[in-house]
Amino acid sequence: MSSSPVSLVSPVSPVSGGTAPWTCPFCPLLCDGFAVHADAARGTLTLVGSDCARAQQALARFRNGRSAARPRVDGREVDLATAVAAAAKALQSSRQPLFAGLGTDAAGARALYRLAHDTGAISDAANGAALMHGLRALQDRGAFTTTLAEVRTRADLIVCIGGSPLARLPELFRRFGVGEDLVAARHIVFVGGAADADAPLAGLAGAAPVSSEVLALEGDLFDTVARLAVAVAGGPAPAALAALAQRLLAAHYSVLVWEAASLPPHGALVVESLNRIVGTLNRSTRAATFPLGGGDGAATANQVHAWLSGLPTRTRVAPGGLEHEPLRFDTAALLADRAVDLLLWVSSFSAVPPPPAPGLPHIVLGHPALAASFSGTGIFIPVATPGIGSVGHLFRTDGVVLMPLHRVVEDGLPSVAEVTQQLQAALQLLRLETPA
Amino acid sequence: MIPPGRPTGDDRRAQRDGAPLTTLRLCGGRIVDPTNGVDGELRDIGIRDGRIVALAAGEAAQDIDVSGCVVMAGGIDMHTHIGGGKVNLARLLLPEDHRAAGNPIVRPGNSLELASCGTCTPGTLAIGYRYAEMGYTSAFEPAMVAANARHAHMEMGDVPILDHGAYVMLGNDELFLQLLAEGGNFQQIRDYVGWTIHATKAMGVKVVNPGGISAFKFNQRKLDVDEGHVRWQVTPRQVVHTLARALRELGVPHPLHIHGSNLGVAGNIESTLQTIAALEGLPAHLTHIQFHAYGREGPKKFSSAALQLAEAVNANANVSIDVGQIMFGQTVTASGDTMRQFANADLASPRKWIGADIECDAGCGVVPFRYREQSFVNALQWAIGLEIFLLVNDPWRVVLTTDHPNGGPFTSYPHLIRLLMDRSFRDEQLARLHPEVAANAALKSITRELTLYEIAIMTRAAPARLLGLADRGHLGVGAAADIAVYREDTNRETMFTTPEYVFKDGTLVARAGRITALPVGGTHFVEPGYDTAIEKTLRKHMAAHGSVNFDHFAIGHDELCSCCNGGRLLPAACFEPA
Repeated sequence: MSSSPVSLVSPVSPVSGGTAPWTCPFCPLLCDGFAVHADAARGTLTLVGSDCARAQQALARFRNGRSAARPRVDGREVDLATAVAAAAKALQSSRQPLFAGLGTDAAGARALYRLAHDTGAISDAANGAALMHGLRALQDRGAFTTTLAEVRTRADLIVCIGGSPLARLPELFRRFGVGEDLVAARHIVFVGGAADADAPLAGLAGAAPVSSEVLALEGDLFDTVARLAVAVAGGPAPAALAALAQRLLAAHYSVLVWEAASLPPHGALVVESLNRIVGTLNRSTRAATFPLGGGDGAATANQVHAWLSGLPTRTRVAPGGLEHEPLRFDTAALLADRAVDLLLWVSSFSAVPPPPAPGLPHIVLGHPALAASFSGTGIFIPVATPGIGSVGHLFRTDGVVLMPLHRVVEDGLPSVAEVTQQLQAALQLLRLETPA
Repeated sequence: MIPPGRPTGDDRRAQRDGAPLTTLRLCGGRIVDPTNGVDGELRDIGIRDGRIVALAAGEAAQDIDVSGCVVMAGGIDMHTHIGGGKVNLARLLLPEDHRAAGNPIVRPGNSLELASCGTCTPGTLAIGYRYAEMGYTSAFEPAMVAANARHAHMEMGDVPILDHGAYVMLGNDELFLQLLAEGGNFQQIRDYVGWTIHATKAMGVKVVNPGGISAFKFNQRKLDVDEGHVRWQVTPRQVVHTLARALRELGVPHPLHIHGSNLGVAGNIESTLQTIAALEGLPAHLTHIQFHAYGREGPKKFSSAALQLAEAVNANANVSIDVGQIMFGQTVTASGDTMRQFANADLASPRKWIGADIECDAGCGVVPFRYREQSFVNALQWAIGLEIFLLVNDPWRVVLTTDHPNGGPFTSYPHLIRLLMDRSFRDEQLARLHPEVAANAALKSITRELTLYEIAIMTRAAPARLLGLADRGHLGVGAAADIAVYREDTNRETMFTTPEYVFKDGTLVARAGRITALPVGGTHFVEPGYDTAIEKTLRKHMAAHGSVNFDHFAIGHDELCSCCNGGRLLPAACFEPA
């Protein structure tokens, strides 16, 4: 569990001292009520207005000032043009490239799609498997979702499926307005997870009462949500789930919160059950799901790919047409099967997870902190992080709000979009010089 | 404020390529240009620097022989769901729309086109290609959620070739309803409307199921025009009137765009007539009116109210409409009307749907649907749409739409045009439908066939006028050279499917159905004046109820430009409020 939240700072109150607004790009909540203090003397970036451990840790990986990271080709430091030329050559000789990670903003995702078109690439976000839980459930049966302001304004019952998401999203309950008096009283239920999952809520009691409970799973997570679905539809269920079903049916507006990254394999089945529960509830009262995930650019890449092409990620821009394969086009599986012969890994928000070591030609457009660990073969081009070294846009976890990101540091690094456009131009030139 | 036509990166690129700087002369075409009262005159059209110019006889120009062709301004679709949250949700919901029986959809053999496909939920790139090759040069997204405005502009920016703009949705946001409920001063609401247009870079304002989307969040399942919202106790009548008045006072050229109460409900003509009455003479545009023109006569308690609707439109000169014609086959309905989409969700085909409550501001519902010829209801909907087209007297107040994709994909426009222009074809189609409709529809006895002139009004001249676009939708000297050249054909579907030439701002963008250039389209929006004192109220409200920092709400010109891929910014002039 993360440290318990400190003083209540409304997520949308302007930061004191006239600091320019900042949007934190490091988790899919994209909080924009905090600021970053850039210390010129010490070269550090410090979070102001929140104690969010995730943001603090992410900021600690940046320096206030020009980045010392340089592009590398096979371990040698080179200039950007040389690295781009080498990368274009690698793309030219690839018969089936894979664009993975996709840790970039909307502009980067737009540029990557054009390059994917030119190279016939498959695109898959980092932890694409988690992204597919929600997408596959959506493709099969749809969904009914809600957004942060709705939860803040009207949710009287919040049910976190699979335990507390607070460790990964420390600001979540404050963004939900828990403890505020917009809703007369809120009840929060954790289904599964640690027995003390609700302990941090104590720190949020404010103008309105907050009650909570932690329910043990009845069987595994699949069993539990299936049984809850039965209970909500009026069927028999274990006592705790029957009581939860009654709460859900009695609530004015209940929200089922689920986190893609914490679901087990085949998590789409859990999401489908949750959608079913919400569907039943909406016949008599109001309810919605609230998905958590799609951070580090994954949801943004997915949306951009979908609007440009018509299909989301895990799609190959094949010469014969677009092929969307939500199971087969999995980065780990494609690499293990040697189904691709080049990896273009994009990770501008974080050095974690590191690019997979594919044992095949690879190009990394990455967070400058990756430079140190990049001494072997392959091509590395350090890029600016949207929200730190460049402006940009990211989709928030609820998929509705496309948040603007600000530049807080002049690090001298190019954006993913800029590098990708240069790569595309270099590739086109190469093809003109060496016709197939 | 950026004046229209200021050169941008797009212009400079185009100039470098040399295209629009060439002087062109379209020779010998039959001109159909209703804005300038020209109906079929044989005349040349000159094009220079992206504009239509008067060329002296013998003046040097590249001549293009368009004899045997009809020359019109580029088509303008003023109500088509082309970009933003619910459109992308529809794409995500329907991967099958992007496959051909499980196989990939074969890419068109044109190296200019990037891979992009789909019929009722096409990718943005495909939207641009398919519209342009059909002779359309502008399209307007009618349902932009304020909280989703950046996304909507990005998608529209990724629609190549076409100019675009959007109407922002108001009238279901809690702040508006609260201000209205409190009966506070109207100026405050007017300024809030003005600020919202400014912040989201909208071209107008749309109200969807006035008050009803919000009411559904409070578990209200129905909201008639004079029924109180369960929480705020305001009525749709008040919402409609207030918004229409606000836009009038702000001088926004496109009046309130209304998706009325009780969409799809038998007997909803009553709501529609009450909505018109609520306007009390204020101008407004009633959209996809076919879905709002149902009676409850007959054994099935579902009947055409097209005649009543047409009489009301004919009698109220303050009202314009677009039809929202349905076309048979698979599509998806994507709407902000959560209340009504929820009610129809059990009819989804395939059986899946998406709904969302959005930011105390709006909602959405995405329900796939297959319109069937042998369904009594669908057949009647089809007939009602056509009856409306043919019964309203003034074509300047009727716009041709299918409410893409809700009634059918925009690619069905040429078929729709043939239905309107060719009675025998229409009767043949009618005869194939559900027997009761085929036998009894009033459509059977309507002999009117629309003329090319009327089609040109409904597809370009009227939408341009209703949007306040002075230099679009016509072929007068000084107008933008957005031009479609159609080869004459008695089969109007063939004729309108594949124009010989399509020009966008003077650049040849499609030649006989093949895309030839990909200029970046511009963004139309309005910048009404309003009292900025409202921002203090909004800042406070958002801090207390919202989820986004007030300072992050408004989209600036530079950001809009980057969202829209560097396309030109095309602010439309507001009129002097009365």
